[in-house]
Amino acid sequence: MRIMALPSQLCREDEVRLPHLLPPHPRVGPPRMEEEETYLQLYLNQCAAQDDFIPPGLPLLSPVVPEDVYISDSCNPETAFNSHLEEVKETSGDFSSVDLSFLPDELTQENKDQTVIRSKHEIEENCKTQSLQRRLPLSSQQDVGLGLHSSSSSESHAPLPPGGANSVHPSEKSNSLSLASITPMTPMTPLSECSGIVPQLQNIVSTANLACKLDLKKIALHAKNAEYNPKRFAAVIMRIREPRTTALIFSSGKMVCTGAKSEEQSRLAARKYARVVQKLGFPARFLDFKIQNMVGSCDVRFPIRLEGLVLTHQQFSSYEPELFPGLIYRMVKPRIVLLIFVSGKVVLTGAKERSEIYEAFENIYPILKGFKKA
Amino acid sequence: MPSGGRCPDCGSTELVEDSHYSQSQLVCSDCGCVVTEGILTTTFSDEGNLREVTYSRSTGENEQVSRSEQRGLRRVRDLCRVLQLPSTFEDTAVAYYQQAYRHSGIRAARLQKKEVLVGCCVLITCRQHNWPLTMGTICTLLYADLDVFSGTYMQIVKLLGLDVPSLCLTDLVKTYCGSFRLFQASASVPAKYVEDKEKMLSRTLQLVELADETWLVTGRHPLPVITAATFLAWQSLKPSDRLTCSLARFCKLANVDLPYPASSRLQELLAVLLRMAEQLAWLQVLKLDKRSVVKHIGDLLQHRHTLLRKAFREGTAEVEAQKELQEQGQGQGQGKEVGSSSLDLPEGKRPASPALLLPPCMLKPPKRVCPTPPVSTVTGDENISDSEIEQYLRTPQEVRDFQRAQAARQAATSGPNPP
Repeated sequence: MRIMALPSQLCREDEVRLPHLLPPHPRVGPPRMEEEETYLQLYLNQCAAQDDFIPPGLPLLSPVVPEDVYISDSCNPETAFNSHLEEVKETSGDFSSVDLSFLPDELTQENKDQTVIRSKHEIEENCKTQSLQRRLPLSSQQDVGLGLHSSSSSESHAPLPPGGANSVHPSEKSNSLSLASITPMTPMTPLSECSGIVPQLQNIVSTANLACKLDLKKIALHAKNAEYNPKRFAAVIMRIREPRTTALIFSSGKMVCTGAKSEEQSRLAARKYARVVQKLGFPARFLDFKIQNMVGSCDVRFPIRLEGLVLTHQQFSSYEPELFPGLIYRMVKPRIVLLIFVSGKVVLTGAKERSEIYEAFENIYPILKGFKKA
Repeated sequence: MPSGGRCPDCGSTELVEDSHYSQSQLVCSDCGCVVTEGILTTTFSDEGNLREVTYSRSTGENEQVSRSEQRGLRRVRDLCRVLQLPSTFEDTAVAYYQQAYRHSGIRAARLQKKEVLVGCCVLITCRQHNWPLTMGTICTLLYADLDVFSGTYMQIVKLLGLDVPSLCLTDLVKTYCGSFRLFQASASVPAKYVEDKEKMLSRTLQLVELADETWLVTGRHPLPVITAATFLAWQSLKPSDRLTCSLARFCKLANVDLPYPASSRLQELLAVLLRMAEQLAWLQVLKLDKRSVVKHIGDLLQHRHTLLRKAFREGTAEVEAQKELQEQGQGQGQGKEVGSSSLDLPEGKRPASPALLLPPCMLKPPKRVCPTPPVSTVTGDENISDSEIEQYLRTPQEVRDFQRAQAARQAATSGPNPP
């Protein structure tokens, strides 16, 4: 685990980052160095003590932490962690040169993305252990699935069931985390009853700025893959084969790129369009690339009673069979719109990041499972 | 509106132009004293140019409301009267229209949208009172496009933050069934086709309930299902005379439009009834088909709960796939439930194994297999080779050819048609 590696890592960092670490003496020399040194000492002492055993709190400092994002947080391990953090923070306010990537504040995108790479076997294994542990204490609750998973999902749904659930968590966590400490450093699956289904990204819409005025007529004349009908639309529609995308290029130099299946492909495609425009003789640059929308889809593989769903989640859902066969679910956190169909296919749109799509699906899956039986 | 003067009584400057019938007056808004009056009487020659002033216009109540909004409110009231809605609905619909009108996006909208907005307000009111009014009806009355209607409807529900309940199916069945002209003999309706309203209504309701339980209603427009159910109910009440009548002819007799999806809903409903019939001992021997099963709809509906439980089992696509793998050693997926159940039926002695209770869209084989996209290792920062970009550019020769072709096309189009 990373924590056990950290002390030695820090030692190496001593040599690399803080080569002129002065021995401690009262306020002479750069105070920053001194503060860092005392911080280091403190931290090393902690790590040395903890190297002997792994208390339930500490493993949270590893990439295992992203689970906190999925589980509602008011549990013991986090308070234990917070106390650690407090100690660390007291020593020095300036952490700019120290590697703090193990702290959960920064464990956002990177680790959420990493959850994609997990193996399905690992997921299912974890699913089974978690679902067993979770079901036992809360069997008294009417709709176990619904109540429990709404607790494990975002705050827009029912609040965490008090008392019983909290007491369960630490023991659960220690079980799961002991499992985690054995497995290699691939990121853990969220402790919520994971679906094992990963939404596939279908379309990415992004914009970029070429930062120069363009002559659309010239572009349409000299480029084979461009079409331009000024009467119909005031932009050139350009297409490339690899990655298979379409771009709308406006005379102001702004460009919209659609059709890519991943963020990197979208960026590569946008750069290729910029290069085409460059080769046509314009001083095009590639600025302000931004992903505006991401669309994903997946299949839960069981039919869904849409009429029931619209009754229980009235404030989020809109189901008008006279207009559209699917139910439109507007999730508040993350702000994603889901189209849910009777066949179990779900389309998720409105995301600016991949993690929002995954999070939204993990939030909706327990709700849909509640409607699984007719 | 304050004008320059002061009230002689109380001395306030708050003087208001107030028209009392056809006489304009300047009145103090504090004490009510009439400061000045316009001419009350008119000469004969003046009177020729005067027109009647309606009461509502004379009282000044509409001075704050724009003419376009007034028109809209009138349209709302007219629509409520045409639909013969209770009077309370009218007030609610008018209130919604006024509420919508407070938003600048609605005030600035096109007249077409404001027309459609009238329908949306009436529809929302009806839905909230469980009055079964379909969007199709409103669109026909307003001569509006369903697309425009749907856009405005979704927008206004979101804008006003309203909670609109779903269409109530039972009420819709009652009103829609009641509109079929089959309850009295007439020139177009022979005696053998006339049916008792109550019997037909109850049977139709049962059939619609059956359709709802077997996933034929979710996600689909409700009306074609009801049309199919009404047709089957009508046929089954006197099958000997009515089996020869087709769905299209039935709708024509009954003076009701036939919605396009109704025939496929009919087939789906018949398939469900056939499955249920396979579970009834005395029907198995008859080897029913889509036409003969109609005669036994009465029996099937009587025992529908048990039959449904026996004829269908809960399942998901995965369960079905696994079953396929076990039984036939193939990995074909969902579409084979008919095949597997017929395999289980040796010489019609044992009832068929339960089919999957799934919506029809899950039972049909997928039109095209979507391959999982290969994991791409694109980083977004790769080098872009010049040759790759140059494949998209025209050579100078091609540019010249293209320009020549364009010029020729211009000449061709402008030539034969002199300006």
